[in-house]
Amino acid sequence: MVSAITLAIDGQEIVTQAGKTILQAAMEAGLYIPYLCYYPGMKPFGACRMCVVEVENGRGTPASCTTPVADGMVVSTNTPQLQDLRKGITELVISEHPHGCLTCHRTDIHGANLCGPEDICLRHVSVTDRCVACPKNERCELKDTTIFVGTGLTTPLTYKYRNLPVLTQDPFYDLDYNLCIVCGRCVRACEELRGDSAITFTDRSGISLVGPAHGTSLLESGSEFCGSCIDVCPVGALVESDYKWEKAVENVSTTCPHCPVGCQLKLDVNQRGKVIRAIPELEADANHGQACFKGKFGLDFINSRNRLTTPLVRRNGSLEEASWEEALSLVAEKLSGYRGDQFAAIGSYRGTNEENYLLQKFARVVMGTNNVDHSSNIKPEMLEPLGEALGYQAATNPIWDLEDAKCILTIGTNTSEEHNVAAVPVKRAVKKGAKLIVIDSREVELTRYATTWIRPKPGTDAMLLGGMLRVIVDEVLEDEDFLKDRCENLDALKHSLWRFDINKIEDITGVSQDDIRLAARTFAENSPAAILYALDTVPQSQRVDCVNALVDLALITGNVGKPNAGLYPLRPGTNDQGSWDVGCVPNLLPGYQAIDDVSARAAMQQVWGVDLPSGRGVGINDVFQSVSAGNVKAMLVVGDSPSFSNGDLGDIIETAQSLEFLVVQDTFLTGLAQVADVVLPSVTFAEKEGTFTNLERRVQPLRKVLDIQRTESRPDWWIICEIAKAMNGQGFDYHCPAQILDEISSLIPFYAGITYQRLLSKKGLLVPLLMPNFPLPSQLHPSTGGQNAGIQWPCTTPEDEGNSVLYAEGFPSGKARFIPLEMGEAPTMTTADFPFLFLPGRVLHQSQQEMEIVVAGQKNHIQRDELLKLHPLDAADMGINEEDWVEVISHSERIRAKARLTEEAFRGTVSATFLFGDLMTRLESSEDPDPMSRVPRLPLTPVRLAKLEA
Amino acid sequence: MPDFEELSQESQRRFQELEAGDKPWIRVGTAVCGEAAGAFQVIEALNAELDKRGIAANVSAVGCLGLCYAETLVDILKPGKPRIFYKNVTPEMVPGLVESYLVGDDPRQDLALASFGDGSLEGIPRLEDLPMWSRQVRIALRNCGHIDPLDIYQYIAQGGYAALNKAVTQMEPADVIKEMQDSGLRGRGGAAFPTGTKWSFLARSPGPLKYILCNCEEGDPGAYNDKGILESDPHSLIEGAILAGYATSASNGVVFIRHGHEGPIHRTMRAIEQAYELGLLGDNILGSAFSFHMEVSLTGDSYVAGEETALMESIEGKRAMPRARPPFPAAYGVWGIPSNINNIKSLSYVSEIISRGGEWFAGIGTEGSKGTAILCLSGNIALPGMIEVPMGITLREVIEDVVGGVPGGRKVKFLQTGGPLGGVLPADQMDIELDFGVMSQAGAILGSGGIIVADDRACAVNMTRLLVAFCQYESCGKCFPCRLGMTNLIEILERIARFESRPQDMELMRTIGQNMAAGSLCGHGQLGWNPVQSALRSFPGDFAAHMEEKRCPTGQCLAPVFTPQRTRSRWTSAQPLELRF
Repeated sequence: MVSAITLAIDGQEIVTQAGKTILQAAMEAGLYIPYLCYYPGMKPFGACRMCVVEVENGRGTPASCTTPVADGMVVSTNTPQLQDLRKGITELVISEHPHGCLTCHRTDIHGANLCGPEDICLRHVSVTDRCVACPKNERCELKDTTIFVGTGLTTPLTYKYRNLPVLTQDPFYDLDYNLCIVCGRCVRACEELRGDSAITFTDRSGISLVGPAHGTSLLESGSEFCGSCIDVCPVGALVESDYKWEKAVENVSTTCPHCPVGCQLKLDVNQRGKVIRAIPELEADANHGQACFKGKFGLDFINSRNRLTTPLVRRNGSLEEASWEEALSLVAEKLSGYRGDQFAAIGSYRGTNEENYLLQKFARVVMGTNNVDHSSNIKPEMLEPLGEALGYQAATNPIWDLEDAKCILTIGTNTSEEHNVAAVPVKRAVKKGAKLIVIDSREVELTRYATTWIRPKPGTDAMLLGGMLRVIVDEVLEDEDFLKDRCENLDALKHSLWRFDINKIEDITGVSQDDIRLAARTFAENSPAAILYALDTVPQSQRVDCVNALVDLALITGNVGKPNAGLYPLRPGTNDQGSWDVGCVPNLLPGYQAIDDVSARAAMQQVWGVDLPSGRGVGINDVFQSVSAGNVKAMLVVGDSPSFSNGDLGDIIETAQSLEFLVVQDTFLTGLAQVADVVLPSVTFAEKEGTFTNLERRVQPLRKVLDIQRTESRPDWWIICEIAKAMNGQGFDYHCPAQILDEISSLIPFYAGITYQRLLSKKGLLVPLLMPNFPLPSQLHPSTGGQNAGIQWPCTTPEDEGNSVLYAEGFPSGKARFIPLEMGEAPTMTTADFPFLFLPGRVLHQSQQEMEIVVAGQKNHIQRDELLKLHPLDAADMGINEEDWVEVISHSERIRAKARLTEEAFRGTVSATFLFGDLMTRLESSEDPDPMSRVPRLPLTPVRLAKLEA
Repeated sequence: MPDFEELSQESQRRFQELEAGDKPWIRVGTAVCGEAAGAFQVIEALNAELDKRGIAANVSAVGCLGLCYAETLVDILKPGKPRIFYKNVTPEMVPGLVESYLVGDDPRQDLALASFGDGSLEGIPRLEDLPMWSRQVRIALRNCGHIDPLDIYQYIAQGGYAALNKAVTQMEPADVIKEMQDSGLRGRGGAAFPTGTKWSFLARSPGPLKYILCNCEEGDPGAYNDKGILESDPHSLIEGAILAGYATSASNGVVFIRHGHEGPIHRTMRAIEQAYELGLLGDNILGSAFSFHMEVSLTGDSYVAGEETALMESIEGKRAMPRARPPFPAAYGVWGIPSNINNIKSLSYVSEIISRGGEWFAGIGTEGSKGTAILCLSGNIALPGMIEVPMGITLREVIEDVVGGVPGGRKVKFLQTGGPLGGVLPADQMDIELDFGVMSQAGAILGSGGIIVADDRACAVNMTRLLVAFCQYESCGKCFPCRLGMTNLIEILERIARFESRPQDMELMRTIGQNMAAGSLCGHGQLGWNPVQSALRSFPGDFAAHMEEKRCPTGQCLAPVFTPQRTRSRWTSAQPLELRF
């Protein structure tokens, strides 16, 4: 129980809670105290001493950011002495910070500014001091604060420019330490907010600065290039290198299109209508002010010059520009010939709920087929057991619940790269003492935080989980109350576990009994415990077994239906959750109603006014087989997808060429678009409205950041509607996505209370808006004025605030149902041509391996010898000795590495761990218009080895 | 279970064998000053000479008696004779000395400094009669220079660990704190906070893990008494720390020593090992229910690491930067565990206070400052060294009587007391008493006990500049007023010393200084203005001469201005500027 405390600040009586600091209490009451090193959400540091106050009967002038409130305290924040002290400190700061922006005769410190943001003066101050030479000009917290405290225009102190070179060699970052004021926000953000410690203070006294924690480059210091340090920097010392000099004329908040975390980003737009910068929203519930390398540095595709601008139609074998009328009528005419199951539609993984709803409606209503899916739905097995056992096919808890979990189990997920911001609360939980069990054959970044890292033989994850369940049952570690009251079918599970003899499991998985027991006990004894799974390392035949076991594991330990626990399926696609919700899958109607359910189909027929096809259609995993077999003859594909090019689906370009008619909606002329008969140009996420549903069931809005300018590209929802209308489809007259969302809400009970208008409105403020003109941290400047909360479904009425934790009130079918486990068999994952299985890993930092930073083409690159770990007996068979150079050859790639023989490796597997920094340099120099959507994942790959001669 | 009685008797027996046996006992002072003067070469020469002549003798490397001016100090105890101290011994003198006193019986009055113990020798003054010794009251330094610091039995033979035995067998923890509060001991690290009160804070903090941190960072130029104690008598610290642990129900102790100086580190580590071996550290100390563990932690090269919260950061392996308080160490200390930080000197008093009672200690010194002051005197004086004098003695008595005043007929110009942050005390204030309150009223601090004496050839501007250069270089770089204030102060002082001052510089320094004092996070910045302020107050003339007449009255500033390279800011290193548009 936090006790209430009453104190007076500048004569105003404030009621707050014990444990707050004076600064926090003042901010909450709307009183501003100047500060430079404090940052909302981070622990106080007490370095800048700008927030000094006087406390009646107290000694001296304590910093309000570090002084806790006490009952009856009388605080003055703005006495003449304090004002002088603050002026003195800012004078000291600007004595070594270029400050032409303050002293220029065209800048009137007391009000009117004679200079526009784009004006360039050339003479008044030296080149390094000009306001235009600062990338943070016009959004500098130091400048705002200095003006606020009223520091004089001239300082009697000698100005000392540090004259350090501006560092531009690292990917994405420009570091100008001449501008650094050593407030330490970046160092603390890296450590406290992200759990990384890639940057640190360097030197001390007058030359103290910040810098990489190891070596000379962020590439070698373990940076994850999340940009958190840039976001918190009050000055221009750390900035994004792209568009660093550009000034924003507009900021719009929207949802990041890169992964299902759904970070809320504030996009800066310049005069010429380019998106120049992405700043994560501090007040958003999905990301809490964090973003990752993809969202921060991977949105430039919006501005690409290579975007499609008009529809293209294949004439005489080549794609030529055409008008919308021509293209649409051609599409309508052609597709009319393929109604029924000869047609298939594939939606985009970045398609909004509205677009993917429309696409399935188009397929089912106009084309009369259930052949509809979204392109990232390559692991549908991840979800199905959740629905079967619990009720909803979705994550049970919110992402940031993980921060207060006591135990987290991850299995087959490279979270820190593929769902980066979801890894942040995991790392923070570990720092707070939570146990982290990582089950992964690959060395991914989270293994570095793991309290227990288990590397089962590839393909045996499900057996391992069965073994853990067996230990929990044998050692009576279940949550008995939970089992008694809320679960059924436990006996069937227990009965099925008799086959999971721990000795046998040890043999199969290669994990020692001790480790299996340790993992089981750790998970069962540290409640609340959460499970994150992506099944990256689990072969298709094992996925259902694996998820069954995970659901059982969560249930038997009572970790469902309560905060900080639960199951998190980490799916690859940005809007996988929403696409499932709206029925853009071959076997479900909107709202998870089975396509074979006659009554559900009848209800939809009522709404849509046509007869619906029955029977499961073909989905993304089998559609290209159907194409090859000649069953599907025409396709509509919306958007590009990593699964089109990463080999998961085979060579789809070649297969697609055998289609009689292919329509592609895309922003770029991608591989698939190049073989299409008609290509329809679609806009990016930044130019359209709609909603995404993130992995925690949070429905979040896309706002229109840019207008569609001078091009013929259109939103996908508009294109689908136009095609449908051209084919005389009924019920496609929408003028905006909000209208489509209304239809969705009317059909899906758990979306019933969600409207676009509700999503745009803001919830309470984390950092209250102060009076205008008070300095704000640049991440909040200009403040969007509230919390981008989104709504987590189920949300059944317009008053419903949504539900963050599923099943807290009970399961939809009364009780959760345990799923008995099958003892499967580990499948062979190699082939005769590629007899070894390659386990790739990637981490931020490997101090034990030598490396150096070389500058090539003005950019830093990592140079080091990669190490390939393999079993000595395998090596002996191949005649490979320690330190020999070996080539690892897969069907698509070749990697050279030095052999490192170790008994730890399983026979038949080889592994290598690469550096994240390498990936960053490759991504930055990539020619791909949207490289961040194609970040190489870490699949287990069959390979063969070839010894290289020295 | 070791019985303390037995241990004590065994120690007495061993010590008797040395002191009253039939072999001569030769002790060589090997603390840092002795080492610098060649003590180990002297020991080597001694052993060689004794071997050559076939003389059986015990040779011990002892710590420091405090008579730095007389190092290398060799003291020879021949059976039945008083101890004779020989001063400034070199390896070359060894054969002659052995020849005349050990082979023959000529005590070599010409080489001897003093005799000590029963009986006297003609022509050799008794140590007690030397001016540097006669005024001393040695409590914390009681064993320094007399026993081998690497031999725990010698410490026990001198009454060591009896206080610990008394405490764990006869006293409650609260009694120990009571005794400390009665003694009136105030912390000797500089802040002079009452030790007993400080302990009572930790005693109230929840356990079971609590830390007693012993601070031997000691970065003040001219102060070496903490290291001196660790080098000469580490067990007095260890016993004090264990007693502090007992009084506060603490579980662990960490001795925090500045690295780079092998003597104190090695000897403290060895002493801790020995205490473990004899059951004086570890679980169930001396058979009681009390357990206490100790270890040594080393700092990096940082002055601010001596600040209590920075010290905790440093122990945790982080950069030595002070934390904001509250929370105070007693609630949130090292690793977030309740902690209590004591100076080495403070802890070295504890065993004597417990043995003899707080009242005895309170009987020494002045009303506000009980006990003794351990001073390190250096600079231009006749007899530099480390002394322990009762509080209340005047500075003039210390300088003129105890350490022999300024040689060569020169006059004292000022004293630099309590480390660089303490500033300067002009000669006309030398009649003030050694007392925390009195000193602070005079604008000086006793601090860690270092006193540097400057004669009338010293320039106040130059001295101030050097002090501020030190403070600037040692600023940790965390809080803005200190990091930037010090940098600007040193810049202005360099200007003054180069006779290039500007008219507003005096005012500027004052503003910066006041902002530093009001705004800084820790004592380093808060006191950073002190050296300049005290010099301005006492020697305005020196500053005026530099600033207005553009001359240095003493001529010291005519020499090229020297500031260590790293005190300069980076802007001086010319590097090409690259801007990317």
